[in-house]
Amino acid sequence: MSRWGYFFRRLLLSIPVLFLVMTFIFVLLRMGPVDPVAARLGPEATGAEAARMRERLGLNDPLWEQYVDFVTDFLVLDLGQSWVVYADWEVTTIVMNSGPPTLWLGFWAILLPLFIGIPLGFYAGLRPNSWSDYTASVSGILWQAMPNFWLCIILLAVLRQTQGGGWLGFDWYAFGPEIRSITGTPSLDFLSWSNPFGAVPFPTGIDWSALAVDVKLILPPALVLGSASMAAELRIGRTAILETINSNYVETARAKGLKSRAIVWKHVFRNALIPLVPVITNEAFLLIGGSVIVESIFNINGLGRIFFRAMVQGDLPLAGALLFIFTLIIIFLNIVQDFLYTIIDPRVGYER
Amino acid sequence: MMSLERSPRTTAERDEPILEVRNLQTAFFTEKETIRAVDDVSFDIRPGETVGIVGESGSGKSVTARSIMGLVDSPGRILQGSSIRFGHVETVREYAEAFPNRTVDLESLRAEYDPNDFFARAAVDVRPTDLGYERADDVPLEDVVAAGYGDALGVGDGDCVFVTDGSPESPSSIADGFVELTRLDGEAQRRMRGGRIAMVFQDPLTSLNPVYTVGNQIKEALRLHQGLRGEAATREAAELLEDVGIPDARRRVNEYPHQFSGGMRQRAVIAMALACEPELLICDEPTTALDVTIQAQILDLLAELQEERDLAMMFITHDMGVIAEISHRVNVMYAGEVVETAGVNDLFADPKHPYTRGLLQSIPGRQEGDRLQTIEGNVPTPNQPATHCRFAPRCPKAFADCEAVHPASVPVEEGATDHTAACLLYPEELPTAEAVARHRRRADTETRGDTE
Ligand code: SF4
Repeated sequence: MSRWGYFFRRLLLSIPVLFLVMTFIFVLLRMGPVDPVAARLGPEATGAEAARMRERLGLNDPLWEQYVDFVTDFLVLDLGQSWVVYADWEVTTIVMNSGPPTLWLGFWAILLPLFIGIPLGFYAGLRPNSWSDYTASVSGILWQAMPNFWLCIILLAVLRQTQGGGWLGFDWYAFGPEIRSITGTPSLDFLSWSNPFGAVPFPTGIDWSALAVDVKLILPPALVLGSASMAAELRIGRTAILETINSNYVETARAKGLKSRAIVWKHVFRNALIPLVPVITNEAFLLIGGSVIVESIFNINGLGRIFFRAMVQGDLPLAGALLFIFTLIIIFLNIVQDFLYTIIDPRVGYER
Repeated sequence: MMSLERSPRTTAERDEPILEVRNLQTAFFTEKETIRAVDDVSFDIRPGETVGIVGESGSGKSVTARSIMGLVDSPGRILQGSSIRFGHVETVREYAEAFPNRTVDLESLRAEYDPNDFFARAAVDVRPTDLGYERADDVPLEDVVAAGYGDALGVGDGDCVFVTDGSPESPSSIADGFVELTRLDGEAQRRMRGGRIAMVFQDPLTSLNPVYTVGNQIKEALRLHQGLRGEAATREAAELLEDVGIPDARRRVNEYPHQFSGGMRQRAVIAMALACEPELLICDEPTTALDVTIQAQILDLLAELQEERDLAMMFITHDMGVIAEISHRVNVMYAGEVVETAGVNDLFADPKHPYTRGLLQSIPGRQEGDRLQTIEGNVPTPNQPATHCRFAPRCPKAFADCEAVHPASVPVEEGATDHTAACLLYPEELPTAEAVARHRRRADTETRGDTE
């Protein structure tokens, strides 16, 4: 099978996954511990009012009809309404409002480790058993050993200390763009939109200082959220380099008379990236879980925090809809992973 | 399966050696011990000649090859006193032209060199016996500078090209000289690798980079050493693949290694090694990972290519059958030392060293009785300078002196300069006691370093 045939087969495989998750959410909603009517009207609601609500929610239809309705609604992204957290709001509206900060956080939480963890790991791998290798490896392990919530609190405490000039005169508040609070939701209004091509809005300009504020707000939580990935990428990156350097084709390349720089860039890096692909995407899955805690502590009004509140307050439609969105994200990341594999490794999809 | 019909060329009819390995010592320094993987190995390779190196694993064959390629990595090091001279005249001219600052005119040095005086100097910490000579008078200047003791004569640290006939100022006038491989580094070393000496490794499955096409990897070598790019390089790469017997080469150039079978991959690796028209091809067990029919095809291919291109070849294997098939001369290695050297016919017809005899007996179909004889035990790890015969614990002929005297390489019998063995039983015509005394004298001068 060709490389791209493999890719499209993987793409098709995500469809059953999607249906499985939707069924799970449906079961949770209709047969779960929380009665939808009681959740909306309060536990005391009885009689005619409750009956009318049952009728309105379609709870009297046969179960298979309810299932079909539910699945079609989800597939056209009509995710229903929140019961408790944002009573009677459309889930879609909630997601439109809270999604961007989470994406912003996730973006940086993937980017930072990528550009810190992998280069450090490669650097350490190219100089095995040197002092820089030990320093990088040990700090990587320490960094990974610290739990997220703990890191959050320490980081917040340290940054707060710097107000008005802290250690070496460094003041996080005044460093770069001014901010009043080190926590909070980034506003993300640095793009100005207009509709030059008709209905679809198109970004036409960037407000650099607003962007700077948003970046500065997101860096500490992104650093915490990405800490585990950073350490993992460092570790795996180092091992991958070591393995590749000692491989026979690198020796062959040396025997050909290639410069070591050419060997590292051409023959080592690309091969060392192959084992890193699943690490990067797997760590991205973990971000979703991590964002629940980090968003709560850093006071960011994002999907993670809303998911947390929906679970605690028994807002099943909201939680279910968010679960569905998280599933979409994970499926998307899986596709990205397969795509990366397909590009980097020609052996993909090759069966001997 | 033995085919001995190929006549070995005797040294006399061939020209000067293209590669001279002298007293090569390569050691690995670990915290626990020093492993003397190659311990005082010497041999020559001539153009158009295949020199086989045979021995069990752990005998130092591969390290010898890597030392020649300059591929010995820390904690391994080639020790001072070792010399590997590449005597191809055109290469010497090219190097003299490219690296004038690293070129030394030995003719002008010779005036200052008086062997007796040189070895008597306090600053000189080398003895003639270290270089394989009994008396200071016999030591030629070449050996001194190549082995790395030339600084007392004004040879600089980076000097690696030594001209013995002709003037370094006008490279085209150079008629003789050598490039000292153990002193190479940087650009000078890279030019040698691939360009002059190429190497084919054991495992064809892993010696090609899986993420680039075969053509890409051949073109890499072409660009590096011949400056070929683009269309021309692709055409040349396809031609090379055709030369090594890969059908449909034009299409296969663009295929990835995993689309090639094991035998085809080894052919591709050989094509890559030949891309830059090396003078010397080192093959490190190139057929071990392949099955028998493919193995025979690859051996035929190598023999054919050698014929066409007048390649010098160094062929490493543990398989006596393969050695019989391909080589003209054979060096048998054991625990870091060459224990027997002979032309291939002499070696197979009349093996002298007990280890060689053991190896030959362990070939199926060659031993006398029904049972396949093997040599009991394993190759010891040589971690001390040798003070006895390293083969003694496994040797069926061992006697008391074998534990006390280190055998030197001697002609197996009077006048047999082409056939030497390092065993106390030789030279054959001497009574054993006398032979032992001779070996002991050699060993004593080496350890005590008397230069009288
Ligand atoms: S020196 Fe002694 S032990 Fe060594 S090979 Fe000869 S006979 Fe055997």
